[in-house]
Amino acid sequence: MKKRAVLFNLQLFTFLFLLSSCSSPALDDYSDVSYELIDQNGETVIFPDDFKGAPLLVGFIYTNCPDICSFITANIGKVYNELEDPGNTQFLLVTFDPERDTPEVLKSYADAFDMDKEPFRFLTGDPETIDSFMQRVSLRTQESYSRELENDERMYFLSHTDKILLIDQNSRLIFDYGGSMTPVSILIEDLNKL
Amino acid sequence: MKTAAASLLLFVLVMAGCSGETQESAESFEISGEGIQIEGAWARPASEGRMSAAYFLITNFEDQNDNLISVQSDVAQLVEIHESYELDNGMMGMREVPELEIPSQSTIRLEQGGLHIMLIQVTRTLADGETFELTLNFANHGEQIVEIPIRL
Repeated sequence: MKKRAVLFNLQLFTFLFLLSSCSSPALDDYSDVSYELIDQNGETVIFPDDFKGAPLLVGFIYTNCPDICSFITANIGKVYNELEDPGNTQFLLVTFDPERDTPEVLKSYADAFDMDKEPFRFLTGDPETIDSFMQRVSLRTQESYSRELENDERMYFLSHTDKILLIDQNSRLIFDYGGSMTPVSILIEDLNKL
Repeated sequence: MKTAAASLLLFVLVMAGCSGETQESAESFEISGEGIQIEGAWARPASEGRMSAAYFLITNFEDQNDNLISVQSDVAQLVEIHESYELDNGMMGMREVPELEIPSQSTIRLEQGGLHIMLIQVTRTLADGETFELTLNFANHGEQIVEIPIRL
């Protein structure tokens, strides 16, 4: 009887092991965090809780970045446009420059990319929350250089990690991409696997 | 200034990533012209007060090198030649390029993630489908005005 129980347990362990190897391995699990953010319409959202239940593509940007971040933003837009069935997939652009990227600024930026509409959300927050969020997703920034403009305004630019994340419906990080460098077709292929 | 007519055979590498691997294919096309020729120009949309970037190919058909020394436009407070590049720590940075040399009989590509014309604080919203003018100042060829279409 004892032998049978041991054999059953062994079979159960083998079955569970094989089952776990079939699913996508997670790089991180954001279930243990809760970041209060604000979207381009001034609505408060909680990451990741408010986005559970559907795959999530997240790009990281700042709106004073003319080259790399516009590339990331456009890539997120292209993924949505080229997905055969976007279903309930969610698309987020999160700023790492919350001092300048207010909800109003993000709304105007989103509008320029024709993305101030569902299912896109552009998110900012208080600097401490954004800093904590960026540390968790391993996104680094540093001021690169600045310019004095005619109106005496000081314009500064940031060096930053180039990043898009694919998060599954259970808030698990499945892929971490070079945001501007990854072909849209790869993002779509990976999204279709979820 | 002597202007030589010439044609160049351009080889463009088309990169396509595939599951971590990189596939490369080469396509070639021939362009003819003289002096300095600008092709494939476009710029990103931007809302008023924000940033945009313009991209194009510059071909120098001359027997002498030329330099793009400055760029002007009335749609931005400042217009500069910039380059995005990867820092040693893996971050993406941007730096100003004071002058851009266009070697004789060759093409320089301004493209996303690399060389670009940076439009700092645009003075009006640049919407998809509109156009604006850029004035390029070359050391040998002087001013050249280019119509830049805005697109996503």
